[in-house]
Amino acid sequence: MSALLELRDLRKLFPVRDALGRARGAVRAVDSVSLSVAEGEVLAIVGESGCGKSTLGRLALRLIEPDAGEVRFGGEDLRALSPAALRARRRDMQLIFQDPFASLDPRMTVEAAIAEPMRLHGVVPRGQESAKVAEWLERVGLRADHARRWPHEFSGGQRQRIAIARALASGPRLVIGDEPVSALDVSIQAQVVNLLQDLIRDLGLTFVLISHDLAVVRHIADRVAVMYLGRIVELGETEQVFARPKHPYTRALLAAVPGQGAKAPPLAGDVPSPMAPPAGCRFHTRCAHAVALCREADPLLPSEAHAAACHLAAELPPAVAPHETETGGERLRRLQAFFTQGNA
Amino acid sequence: MSTPVLVLDNLSVGFATDRGLVRAVDGVSFSVAPGRMLAVVGESGCGKSVTALAVMGLLPASAELGGRILFDGRDAREAQRGRDLAMVFQEPMTSLNPAFTAGEQVAEALRRHRGLAPRAAFDAAVEMLDRAHIPDAARRARQYPHQLSGGMRQRVMIAMALACRPRLLLCDEPTTALDVTVQAQIMALLDELRRETGTAVVLITHDLGVVADRADDVAVMYAGRVVEAAPAAQLFGTPQHPYTVGLLGAAPRLAGRRGRLASIEGTVPDPLALPPGCRFAPRCPFAVARCQEAPALACMAPGHSAACWRAPLDQVLAA
Repeated sequence: MSALLELRDLRKLFPVRDALGRARGAVRAVDSVSLSVAEGEVLAIVGESGCGKSTLGRLALRLIEPDAGEVRFGGEDLRALSPAALRARRRDMQLIFQDPFASLDPRMTVEAAIAEPMRLHGVVPRGQESAKVAEWLERVGLRADHARRWPHEFSGGQRQRIAIARALASGPRLVIGDEPVSALDVSIQAQVVNLLQDLIRDLGLTFVLISHDLAVVRHIADRVAVMYLGRIVELGETEQVFARPKHPYTRALLAAVPGQGAKAPPLAGDVPSPMAPPAGCRFHTRCAHAVALCREADPLLPSEAHAAACHLAAELPPAVAPHETETGGERLRRLQAFFTQGNA
Repeated sequence: MSTPVLVLDNLSVGFATDRGLVRAVDGVSFSVAPGRMLAVVGESGCGKSVTALAVMGLLPASAELGGRILFDGRDAREAQRGRDLAMVFQEPMTSLNPAFTAGEQVAEALRRHRGLAPRAAFDAAVEMLDRAHIPDAARRARQYPHQLSGGMRQRVMIAMALACRPRLLLCDEPTTALDVTVQAQIMALLDELRRETGTAVVLITHDLGVVADRADDVAVMYAGRVVEAAPAAQLFGTPQHPYTVGLLGAAPRLAGRRGRLASIEGTVPDPLALPPGCRFAPRCPFAVARCQEAPALACMAPGHSAACWRAPLDQVLAA
């Protein structure tokens, strides 16, 4: 498989100013991140708030400019494109946001919202837009007659379906979803997760999922990149990373997910300020295994299929795979089958 | 079992709107024994937060209340907020006063309810912050909310709520705004402190994982009603209401099979146009004609009840 999206040594600093506008330092939101996403792959970027995952997503679409590094889409350097050429490229790259209440224009009907990207990119001949909008609405689980309604008439889950239809309307090859199901209630979240999986499969989309929710990530993604303070600390196939996490931070993140019994919290303290990340390994201040080397030298992410940026990766005790409290067993699975049959 | 700290007896809460009366809570009954943690689980709009606000007496005066709320066997309106019962909210930044230090805010509760002198109250506040595992509590007590991280602020809220040793603590999504590693810290802290102090806890949450880890008992709410109530192990082991079954299947998991999620079709009903009978029936794969009548909570096993005509669901599987 060839890489559709390639990020090379990307860096982004956000200057921090005081009330008088004087520079007080900078947040290193993304710091030397390299990553490639293969055509048709679902890659998840996972991490806690402030780790730089959303910034990375915006850099990948060139919605913000990196301070250094390269973004290649289909082999083409996005930074070298003229504004007009970049606009044309936007047809191939779309973003789905977390909050469907904020991402849809309240003064645009559903039809206008979905038709706009079609018109901008000339995807559909004039006069056929309405038919195409109706088709998209049905594809995302809404009705064709919803086209004439306004966003406020819909629930959160329905609005996210509209936002998905709008993102897909220009026929993109790459879609980035920034916490696309995080604002939704669990039963609605399941509907939208199922919908996204169907669309990814049926349209052959390349999908980058930015999320803090490890269970959703495991459910959707082929590969996972775990970020901490602007860096990728672990990268690998989803099953590998979840069953045999290598980096102590990944292990702690997985152990912190509720539903694994009442145990002691895996990490103490908070994430250090991204304005002054610790020297050496950025995780060493919270890592139970840290040694002198970790305080001094910054570990690199090796280029292997399942990689961890940790000096001690080879020496750590074997990882404990997440173990969720068993619920319901066979009886519950048989009962739940009634719910999946209904929407097959 | 000892006398319950809290008893809700057929509680209902209605709000008048332009389009008519919305019954956000409709006939909810449950009780909480001293030292126990009851989780009230449900999705947005199910009435779980309104229930908590009703217990705290924090609903607007225009709300129409029905039924009874008993605190220690007496009308809950006689109980003193802050001393007898306290509450922790989801967003610590909006619950703390930005103009006072963390220590002053915890001390205020102690001065007001325990009559401590300012100096003694501040010292007791520092001790309480320390018990909430705030590192360097004496220094942190002199800081303002904006100088603290989200997790630290929630620790301050918990210290403040527990400072006067209330008999009952209500927590409304206390970790929803926090990162997962901090979430784990806060849930462990709540559990530790309630065991130390014997405070009963009502935990309002949408997170079934948190419930499975920490709660003794669970009440599942849907569209203003309790649809299932049971000790936690029984609820997760043999759920009897179709909504509980669907919820358990809708949450993706960290281990095991990665199959299609069991999504519950449709959406929660409009509170102004509730279906007659069972409110879950329009989304229920087990619904039958009888579901047009409202089912009452019926006993499935000791301590385990479900409001469903088809429950126990084992008869559905046997058919």
